Amino acid sequence: MAEALKEKPNAESVPESSAASVIIDGHYAPPPEDKDGKLWVRTSALIQAEPQTLYEMWRDVEKAPLWQEQIVEVRRTGEKTSHWVMRAGEKTVEWDAEVMNDEPGKRIAWRSIGGESQNAGEIIFEKAPGGRGTLVTELQEFGMGKLASAWKTLVDRNPKQAVIENLRHFKALAETGEIPRIDPQPHGERGTMGELKKSLYGENVPVPKGTKDRLSA
Amino acid sequence: MKAVCWMGKSKIETVNVADPQILNPHDAIIKITRTAICGSDLHLFDGFIPTMESGDVLGHEFMGIVEEVGKEVTNLKRGDRVVVPFTIACGQCFFCKKQLWSACDNTNPNAHLMEAAYGYSGSALFGYSHMMGGYAGGQAQYARVPFANVGPLKIESDLPDEKVLFLSDIFPTGYMAAENAQIQQGDTVAVWGCGPVGQFAIASAFMLGAGRVIAIDRFPERLAMARGIGAITVDYSEDDVKVLTALRDLTGGIGPDACIDAVGLEAHSADLQGLYDAVKVVLMLETDRPAVLRQAIQAVRKAGTLSIPGVYGGLLDKVPFGAAFGKGITMKMGQTHMHKYMKPLLERIENGQIDPTYIISHRITLDEAPEMYKVWRDKKEHVTKIVIDPWASRAA
Repeated sequence: MAEALKEKPNAESVPESSAASVIIDGHYAPPPEDKDGKLWVRTSALIQAEPQTLYEMWRDVEKAPLWQEQIVEVRRTGEKTSHWVMRAGEKTVEWDAEVMNDEPGKRIAWRSIGGESQNAGEIIFEKAPGGRGTLVTELQEFGMGKLASAWKTLVDRNPKQAVIENLRHFKALAETGEIPRIDPQPHGERGTMGELKKSLYGENVPVPKGTKDRLSA
Repeated sequence: MKAVCWMGKSKIETVNVADPQILNPHDAIIKITRTAICGSDLHLFDGFIPTMESGDVLGHEFMGIVEEVGKEVTNLKRGDRVVVPFTIACGQCFFCKKQLWSACDNTNPNAHLMEAAYGYSGSALFGYSHMMGGYAGGQAQYARVPFANVGPLKIESDLPDEKVLFLSDIFPTGYMAAENAQIQQGDTVAVWGCGPVGQFAIASAFMLGAGRVIAIDRFPERLAMARGIGAITVDYSEDDVKVLTALRDLTGGIGPDACIDAVGLEAHSADLQGLYDAVKVVLMLETDRPAVLRQAIQAVRKAGTLSIPGVYGGLLDKVPFGAAFGKGITMKMGQTHMHKYMKPLLERIENGQIDPTYIISHRITLDEAPEMYKVWRDKKEHVTKIVIDPWASRAA
């Protein structure tokens, strides 16, 4: 069978596999199902930047508040550990995190090690075939604890969607040097339906600031 | 400042709102000198586009003078005169780099809404629903323009505003429609809808080598305009006129090489299918009224091309896909890749190949806009295109 097709001028080699991989031994692998109090989300993006650049941006955890929703502070506490603070409305959630696996330019895996959130994740950076940039694949797991429910009840955003939005913000910041936003902007009377719709459209979650503070010379 | 706001279905008001401000380093604030009402604004007026919110500032065809720039804007400075494309593009993502500007990945802050509806999100648009980005529009005195290094086209000649204003949408949109029609020398091209986009599609089809253009509409002033630039016109509302027969008669029985649907989701239809679609839309069993699309698929010749600049938003019923397959036709459509066309089309205007002002019928103030939306919807007063001077007062 392997000999049946001889000409594949632009074919890539089958990528290496790891926990977050979409392809395992040449076969598509769906993300794990939610069960036993755990939520899983996998998201991916095609980003026009080098894998090494994106790796460094992701690994620079103290800058995460620039592009992660509701993360107000991240403090490095060691070579591989950091302390995270999330604020949603009046409520604050804090936890510590540890990098489990660190392959520069390729892959980072982490998990929470105490505090009010149980989460773990992995991100992979791979060159896309044909010079199309970098394929970024992220897999995140949440224990359905305080963090997940705070997200849900206070900001009306499913933590899975937050992971998807955060990678979108990361991509916009990496590619364009800013995160798109529309708030505040001119508008007429919103009326009674206004606030409801705002929530419906997900616009009550503040967009992370990105490079917003670098406005004037 | 003054702005034209959507306040609900069939409800438009000109009100005082806050001035826009710079929110990101690549933003510019434009003092608007001319703006216009687009045919596609009627889809908002009539409530066909979901995720509008009362208070939204309308308008996506505008130009003006740069008032202020963000720290990382390097292409523009205060005082530059610019035309602003209605699609917002970042210039850096995979799609922008492939010149597929209206498919930009990075400009829609509400991408998740469009992903839910369409699978993926396209670029953001000005003043055209929260699903399409929620950016305040340009039927106002000022507008914030994001990614100002990428979009706005500087006008360095002394051409009057009105001659270049339509580079913001409808001229490139009509041109891309003609390009999407894959016209070969001498082709016959049929165009449904002789509003502004249809007019520019007709003109562009000739520029790209069409031998014959057949223009279909029911309003005498629009048909006259189409004849004025060389098209052969068909009035589908006349007794005994059947569009499919007319197109066969005018093409030696083979049908047009290309068909352009410059009407879109609110097609008017006098026959039974018009009633059928109206009922289904009211019952929410379909969202669009695709009468022109159906007819164009039937009309196009075997292996011909169907180009669709008219806007569709949702679910369509009774689209004859078997006919499309059976004839092996090609369909091309979508929001205009504005940034690719603005400069070459400005050159055509500068060279005198076309004077786009010929479509203008009304020049109004911002205060007159709400009333003119009704005139535009009802096609009264021989309206063909409404241009707004946002600084003029009513008496002017």
